[in-house]
This record gives sequence, C-alpha cells and structure tokens, in this order.
Amino acid sequence: MSGERSKTRVVVLGGGTAGWMTAASLVRLLPHAAEVHLVESAEIGIVGVGEATLPHLRTFVETLGLNEAEFMRATHATFKLGIDFRDFGAVGTSYIHPFGSFGVERAGVAFHHYWRRLAETRADEDLFEYSLCNVMAAQSRFAPPSSDTNSMLSTYSYAYQFDATLFAPYLRDYSLARGARRTEGRVVEVEQDPESGDVQALRMESGERIEGDLFVDCSGFISLLLGKTLGEEWEDWSHWLPCDRAVAMPSESPPGPIEPYTRATAMTAGWRWRIPLQHRVGNGYVYSSSHISDDDAAQALVAAVKGKPMADPRLLRFRAGRRRRSWSKNVVAVGLASGFLEPLESTSIYLAQGAITQLVELFPAGGRIEEADRREFNRMVDLEYDRIRDFLILHYHATTRSDSSFWDHVRTMSVPDSLQEKIELWRRSGRVARYSQGLFLEPSWIAVYVGQGILPDGWDERADLPDEAALARSMAALRDRIADAVRQMPNHGDFIQRRNAAIAP
Amino acid sequence: MNAKQAIRSVCVAGGGIVGLSAALAFTRALPKAKVTVAALPADPAALADRLPSTLPMVGRFHAAIGLDEMELVRSGAATHRLATRYVNWSAGGETWHHALGGAGADVGGVPFHKAWAKARAAGRAAPYDRHIAAAMLAKADKFVHPDNREDSPLGTYLYALRLDPDLYRARLQQACDAARIERLPTALAGVERRGDGGAAALLLDSGRRIEADLFLDCAGPSAPVRSVLGDDFEDWSAWHPADRFVLGEAAHEGPSPVDVVEARPEGWRWTAPLAARTMSGFAYASSVTGVPGAASLRGAAEPVSIRPGRRRSPWAANVLAIGDAAVAVDPLAGLNLHLAQSAILRALELLPGRDCHPLELAEYHRRTEWETQRARDFIALHYLRSGRTDGPFWAALAGRAVPDMLAVTLEQWERRGRLPFFEEESVDKDGWAAVLLGLGVVPHDVDPVADGIPLGRSAEAIARHAERLAALPARLPAYADYLERMRSAPAQPPRR
Repeated sequence: MSGERSKTRVVVLGGGTAGWMTAASLVRLLPHAAEVHLVESAEIGIVGVGEATLPHLRTFVETLGLNEAEFMRATHATFKLGIDFRDFGAVGTSYIHPFGSFGVERAGVAFHHYWRRLAETRADEDLFEYSLCNVMAAQSRFAPPSSDTNSMLSTYSYAYQFDATLFAPYLRDYSLARGARRTEGRVVEVEQDPESGDVQALRMESGERIEGDLFVDCSGFISLLLGKTLGEEWEDWSHWLPCDRAVAMPSESPPGPIEPYTRATAMTAGWRWRIPLQHRVGNGYVYSSSHISDDDAAQALVAAVKGKPMADPRLLRFRAGRRRRSWSKNVVAVGLASGFLEPLESTSIYLAQGAITQLVELFPAGGRIEEADRREFNRMVDLEYDRIRDFLILHYHATTRSDSSFWDHVRTMSVPDSLQEKIELWRRSGRVARYSQGLFLEPSWIAVYVGQGILPDGWDERADLPDEAALARSMAALRDRIADAVRQMPNHGDFIQRRNAAIAP
Repeated sequence: MNAKQAIRSVCVAGGGIVGLSAALAFTRALPKAKVTVAALPADPAALADRLPSTLPMVGRFHAAIGLDEMELVRSGAATHRLATRYVNWSAGGETWHHALGGAGADVGGVPFHKAWAKARAAGRAAPYDRHIAAAMLAKADKFVHPDNREDSPLGTYLYALRLDPDLYRARLQQACDAARIERLPTALAGVERRGDGGAAALLLDSGRRIEADLFLDCAGPSAPVRSVLGDDFEDWSAWHPADRFVLGEAAHEGPSPVDVVEARPEGWRWTAPLAARTMSGFAYASSVTGVPGAASLRGAAEPVSIRPGRRRSPWAANVLAIGDAAVAVDPLAGLNLHLAQSAILRALELLPGRDCHPLELAEYHRRTEWETQRARDFIALHYLRSGRTDGPFWAALAGRAVPDMLAVTLEQWERRGRLPFFEEESVDKDGWAAVLLGLGVVPHDVDPVADGIPLGRSAEAIARHAERLAALPARLPAYADYLERMRSAPAQPPRR
C-alpha cells in the first residue's frame, strides 16, 4: 500500500531555471514520494533570457511558500502589469497587452462590443482607456489587486520581471536546504535498458553513475535525454515563427521611474525586448537569421539601447517548435528540452511551470510509470503549446508593415487553420474563440487584435440597445473612475520600496 | 454601421417550454426583430418540455429571459432543487446523494476528496456524502439559500430550481404575450426551402406561411424543421440503455428539494416532488423487457421513446435545433432542460448575423460538441459503473465499453483520484466526485501529494468536519415551512 512504497528516484538533468524550478517543486510538494538528484555542469551556461514572467508565477512563489518581498530582493525583481508592444501592427503604433480585462460587461454582453459600436461614430474612442491595468502601467503606477471580486481593483493581475540568472541559484539554495542532492559535472553517457529503452542511469565524467526511476530532462535546447537519447521527433514551427536567434545585452537603468511593464519593439527582422529590473535593464533583439546577419542584429541592438551597456552582446540560437511528446518512456522534458516558443509573450517560464504542475499531479509514486499518465501529461502540454503558438503568430501576422522582407514574409505567410478561423470569427463580429483552460484568454486576444489594428466589422447586436448618448456618458464615467483609482496608487518604484522588496542601493 | 446584418425575424417551431423560452430570449436580445412561435402539437417525447429539473445555471437563464425567480416560487411554479438521491444505485445498495455542492476544504493542501479517499481506505472516514453540507441537508430533505459568509458550511453549495412544467409553461406563455410574441397554435404542413438550402418559410396547417431570417426548431426529437435540411445523428444507445420512459405522478407527501432515483430490476424510477404534486417516471429498455409492472404510475400515458444521441450539427444554415431536437437523453441526471437553456444562452452569446456565417456556426458547434459529449459521459457513468447486476436491465449492461473521454476520467480517477480537465462541463468536479464515490468507484491509490499528510491528522480533520455538518440540519427549518414562509411573505420590491 501507499504507506510502504519506496520513494521514486528522480534525476533532474540541468541546473537552469527549469531544472531548479522542478527540483524545488518536488522537494516542496512530494518530499515523501520523491528523492531528487539534480545534475548540472558549470561549463554549460544557462540560457536565462526569461527575465519577464506571467502572473502564474505568483502561484509558483506561493506554492513554494516563499516570501514575496524576499524573493523579489533575491532576484532584483520588479512588478509587471503587461507588455508594451511598439510598431507591431504598423510603424508608429503601440499598445499595452495588460494583465487585466477591458471595461465592464453589460446585460450579458462583453464590454468591447459597446466600445466597438461607439467607435463607429467616435473616432477618439480608445478601448485601452477602459483597462485599469493598462492605465496603471502607462503611468508607471502599481498597487496589488483586490480580492473583492466586486471591486474594480480586482480586474487585473501582475507578474514579475526578474534576473533569471539569480532565480535559479535562489531555487537551488531552497532545494538543497530541503533535501535535494546536487552533482556537478559532465554527463558522458546515458545508459538505457536494452529492452524497454528506459533511461537507467547517467554516467558522469568523474565515473560516478547516477541511477533513477524518472529522469526530468531540463538540459535546454540540446534535449539530451528526450531528443538525443530517445529520439523523440521534433515538430518544427519555424515557418510560422521564423525568429531563430537572439542577441542579448544588459544596460544601466536610466534615471526616473521604473516601468512596471516589459517593452517589445518591432525591428527590421524581428523585435527587441526591454525589461526593467531594479538594478539594470535587460535588452535583446530576437531575429530571423534568414533576414539579418548576426553582426547587423548586434549593431542594431547596440544602437537602439539607451543607457550604458553593461556587457558585450551575447548570441543565442533556437528554433520554434516542440517535441511531439514531452513525456516518453521514463523521461519527462521540462522547459526548452521539450520545446521552444520565442519570448514575445514571456511564455518560457510559464511553460516550464505548467509542465511541473502536471508532473506533480501525475507523479509516478513508487517509481511505477503508467502509460495513461504519460498520455494525460502530453494531452495537457499539447493544449498549452498549440494555443500559445497561435497567439504568438497573431502578433506577426496582424500587421500592415511592408518595410522589410521579414515583415513581408510574416504578413503574407499562411497561418495555421486554427488561427485563421479565430481571426475571421473576430473580424466578423468581435467574437473570441473561447477556452476555459489555456494561457491567454479573451482579454489577451482582444488586446492584440485591437492593438494591432484588426477591428471587427460588426458587433453584438445587443450592444445597439442602449441609447447612444447614455452609453457614451456611462463609458466616460468609467474612464473617470479608472483615472481616479490610478491617481491614488503609488509609483511603481515607491511601491517596491514600501513593500521592502528593494535591493540595497 | 454594424457590418453584420441584423436578424429581422425569428420563427420558433414548438410551443413548449423550450420553444417559449427561446422566443423570450431572442425577443429580449433582438427587440427590433419579429418573433413568432408556431406552437405545433406537443410531442410527448420532447422530454425537455416535460421534465422539471434544472441545474444552477437556471438563475443566469432566468435573468436573460427576464423571469423573476421569487415570483416563480411564490406562484408555486418553482421549488428549489439541491440534490438527487440515488436509492439502490450501487452494488451494496447504499443510498447516496449527488448534491450541488462540494465537500470540505483542502486538508493540509490536499483536495478534500483525495484526503478522504486515503482515510476511507484505512477505514477511518464515514461515507463521502456526510462531508458535503448540501448532501447533509438533502438527507434531511432540507434547503435554505446559500450564504456567502466565509467558513460557513451554507456557503459551499449552489442550488437549482424544479419547475412545474404546466405552471411554468403558463408563466412563459404569459411572458410571451406581454412581450407581444405572436403564438399560433397549429400543425406543420411543410418547410419551404431557400436557394442556398436554408429554410425560407414554415407552411402551417392553418394556411399561414411564416417567413423568417432564423428558424429555431424546438419541436422535439423529430426536429421537423431541422431534419428537412438533412440528418447527422450520433447514436449514444450503447451507453444510454434506457429507451422508454413512462411519465406520471406519485402520491404527494409535500415539497422537497431532493429528486429521487431508485434502481429497480427492470430499470429505474424517478420521483420529483413539486409544490403541490409529485411527478414520477419509470425508465427501462425495450430490448430487455416489456412495460414493467413497476411503471404503472398514476396518470401515466403510453411510454415515450427516447433515442439517445445528438445531432452533430444542430445549426444548419438558418435553422438551429434546440432541446430534444438537438440532443436527447433520459432524465437520469436532470440535464434535459438544462442542455436546452445552455444552448439558448450559447446561441445568444454567438448571435450571428442574418447570413448565419459558417464560422459562427462552427464556434457554436465546437462548444456544443464539448458540452454534449461530457453530458453523455456523465449519464453513461451512472449506468456503466453502477455495480448492480440483479435484474434484467442491469444484467444487460455487463461488459459494455465506456466512451473514450469517460475512459480517461475513470482511469485517472480509479488509479489516482484525479479528475482530468475537459472544456464546457455541465457538472462540476464536485458533482463528478460525488457520483463516482456514490457509485463506489473509489480511487485505489491516491495522489502522492495526499501521501504527505499523516493519516491520523487528516482523518481527525475529516471526522471533525463530518461532525460539524451532522449537527447542521437540526437547526434548519423543514423545507415545507421554509417554502411556505417564502410564499406567504409580502412581495419584495424588485431588486434594482
């Protein structure tokens, strides 16, 4: 019976963000069921570009029982209310994709239908003015959301922007203090069971042999166990998401307020991130190597970055896609070893977190792995990847830009049918294909559609019912309420201080 | 200009509860459109029109069609529904409840049902439904409205309504009249088609011809309008064995918030006490037995046929099938009217333009498929895991395979007490857990996370929770009194 079974020996390969997130979750949630042994090599750097996160990370922080202020100090974190997209739909345009909703539903009809109706005759109607979260972000103010669901202050959420190279060590200390083992060194051989093909052990350069029941592959792009050893097939998505490189370079923080949002600015052959942390700003240019050379990309980044560079540009290579199955035999891939979607919507850490959550739910107690659990794990991973993929493609495809071969390509490429249908459904009458589970829900899709200039041709007819003048008045009142609420909030930087989350100067 | 050309006219085929509800809903959504109801002769097999049970979504539905719940209760058209009681519906013959509420809070971070399963396996926990506040009320045939005080057991459930079909239909007719919806009692003579395959007009026996932009076929399982545009039925009889239903009445012993379903050797008997009378029915399989003696109910007419299944595309061109015309199930889980109401809300949410664009229909069908398949699975679960073998109805179920999605649920549940996610569930996880555990489908191994909590500590917390709930019903009024008080209280001024 359950009380007597032995612990499952879990070997985590890779000491980056995904690896230590996995180890920390297992020692925290399954101390009685899992024995965690993490193998990492100091020679292999961590990618760690994932400096911007999504609100789900808060659940992770809470689940581990971390103190938020301490966690923020340790990782030099700032708060994040959304992403400011510049020049995507057309050069000179911008919008914030906020972690919050738009306006207030009325008579069962979503707010954006009323907005769309008024916008027909009032050209200055701006949907984003009805998002509290957007207005907060634009003014660099921050206050935590309210838990009272009747309050307007409950209509948004927040995430963090942090230094990923500090996050992994922070979780390492956490994990080691709770019983995880760590071995430093290089893996020279992966031993497999000749019959089942299961991975049996990792042989280290030192000669040490590390056995396990379950292997979590957090080895990054190289995908040593799932990809290289088990040969799990790669599903390539680069024809839809052509960016395959990034060049990254931190710079000093400018004086003035710290923005509670990440900025993504479209570039000739991709886009550039700007992530304000407490002690510096992270910058990077994500680009398609078929459309620009590495040198030109690095030059473009250096030219665009304001503030003194704190290091030389560093090159990263990747490709969009994923392994067909993330869990095969006794190997579960978490993070980049399972697949990669570029960081346009800060999904990397989220995807790792999602996989970890499923792994904990479906954990093979007693070391016994069931095919049904693998199938269920892979079903949930599929759901996430496919929906995020479509959402990312939309950012490129919804554009009128024709100023470079890159933008010509993404503007005119054919997109997955599942996305084409979503766009057309929206364009006809402002309907968003609905899912109740999935990362990006209705407000996110609305933000990108409207922000990038895809307006619905029609709207819900019920939005025509209220008298136009009365509707306009009530919408103006909502704008005022939002402006009032934001005016009372502290500046983002001040709030970090007040929360005792600031690093020592 | 709204590029979507607005629907100018809607014609509803069917003058039962489903048809009248749809007519009201569309009138409120499209006040400029002309809505006409062709009140065709009622089809006795249209169970959504004849059965009283709903799910908690009914509150939202009534708000959408402008019916006041309090008024329905005061007039006797509605009583409250908190649970279904299953009698003899398990191998051991225990009585259990599917109540509209959850069990206790997490135990040391572990979902209650998992902690319970572990304690139960060790012989240290009472039956599951003693840990659900709503089920404890249901056992005592009691109901009070849920409160929202933190940590109150009365805040852990929802409730639905049981609608007296005759009184409720009369109330809907009245509302339709007030909304100036034209209602034509008539039979259908034919459907005139448009060039694109859609419907142009209904031709009525009376000689009238009703043109419309949109037709709603709410006329029962034969779907006399939608079926003219072609058939695409998905048969569920392999999983839903009851294909005959006798509907009548039983002796009335006063109102109750609990529906009762009792397994009998030849099928099952259903009983739903309303305010002033008690409806009852008997379901059986015609391939196994003739009309069972147990089915002789007061006031019963001939058995009606149920052809369990759904139409794959309830919406074709400008004809949308709703209710039994779209999906037909037996009354076991009380989903008949619920699925119709949910379809109406979904159609309003996705309200297309006059052209009923295929994209909008596709989104409607995507959501509908998820919803109906999970409803199918939920009902199938009751039959295929009942554990009962005595009696011809039950013996005939031996060895039947379950639908694929249900197999995933059962596998995950039986092995590790986990309920996998599916979109558009009618019944929430609390409901699935209550039925699975009531049927005796107990996880043989629990989540490893649950293993981390010392058994003694969690068993104690679980027992304390059950004790607290056991004392709850005694301090609540009898339902008949509670209902009487609501009905005789002076009318509240309408809210807002």
